[in-house]
Amino acid sequence: MTLCLCHSGLEFDACCGRILSGAQAATPEALMRARVSAFIGGDMEFLERTLAPESKADFDRHAIEASMKGVEGLGFEVRGQEGGGEADQEGRLEYVARFKANGQPLAHHERAFFRRENGNWLYVDGEVNPKAPPRHVEKVGRNDPCSCGSGKKYKKCCGA
Amino acid sequence: MERRFACTVCGKCCYGWLPLSISDALSHAHRFPLAVLWGTVRQGAKAFDLTEELGIRLDKKTALRITPIAYLPPSFQCPALGEDMRCTIHEEKPVRCRTMPFSADREMSDQADLLIPRSGWLCNTKSDAPVVYRDGKILDATDFIRERHVLQDQAVTIQSYAAFLLKGAPSLKAELGRQAKRPAGGQIVLKILPLLRKVADFDLADFAARQAPVLRDSLNRLPEAPEFNEYRRNYVDGLEELDRLQISAKGTI
Repeated sequence: MTLCLCHSGLEFDACCGRILSGAQAATPEALMRARVSAFIGGDMEFLERTLAPESKADFDRHAIEASMKGVEGLGFEVRGQEGGGEADQEGRLEYVARFKANGQPLAHHERAFFRRENGNWLYVDGEVNPKAPPRHVEKVGRNDPCSCGSGKKYKKCCGA
Repeated sequence: MERRFACTVCGKCCYGWLPLSISDALSHAHRFPLAVLWGTVRQGAKAFDLTEELGIRLDKKTALRITPIAYLPPSFQCPALGEDMRCTIHEEKPVRCRTMPFSADREMSDQADLLIPRSGWLCNTKSDAPVVYRDGKILDATDFIRERHVLQDQAVTIQSYAAFLLKGAPSLKAELGRQAKRPAGGQIVLKILPLLRKVADFDLADFAARQAPVLRDSLNRLPEAPEFNEYRRNYVDGLEELDRLQISAKGTI
């Protein structure tokens, strides 16, 4: 048995393999996983065919072929999704796909947008490295240890 | 006045947050999930002047102590603590650990209370333990002085980072001002990368390769309970930031 290239842990034929050979992707996630598998496996036809029509003009086969040389998949992690259900015509998926390219680990983090046409999910476009809303003020605890590292409570230490 | 103290290797101080020097944070990035702790110290506190020297002034009444930390929940033991409660990285352990139970973040004359074991700690302070502190002086201050020097040497980096953030993030300044007024004090945990970027020769790729697996592992080890939500959020934020920076693939898939 061959494990799927998208690192779902499933057998390739039961996961992306089905979709690459023509079965319908039930969700944007399934499509995106299959696109990642196609990228790793070098299936340019699939990458092109699952693009929305307006995005095909930007499809640069040679650039993708060059960038996928020696690429090995390391994992696919969903960070968030909206829509993309059975009744939906649109969907968003934020994911991180991890690869190893020329021995270097790299992560592709994208918030991707999908549209359904004739029942099939298509990839429209995506924002690479989407910015998380600024959030940096986090932790304030009543009984936190003092910042001097004494192990005492702040109010009994440098706050006294 | 004399204080006696001997470590009994109970391991009880090896839990939760551990302040690290910048250099220790970098060399232990494969071991500890890292963050930066900003703590306020009010005017009138014994540590105020020193905090300003090693950190930065927030306003007339508040100094800020800013330090990298091993960012672990208080109930989590140090990943380098062995089963026999001995440190498994004794030779390379952080300067903060070496100085315990003293703290170079406080004046040498202000260490007496640090020699009273915290609740649950098994430090020996009885008459058979050696005198370690007399009349405001640490008798063997080697580790204390080393830690103080490290803190002094990194102060310029800390100050440049702090000034940069305070200027660029007015909400941070306001929040610190609010924290400073609370009787129980207040501390804020921030991501570590903006600080590390101020370090000369900082190797981002090397750091990310060592820190990301630790953050991922720390995230996986957090129990589901809500008390760990802040840790979860901070680990995820840290990971996302490293991911963003690791990306070198162009365009979309």
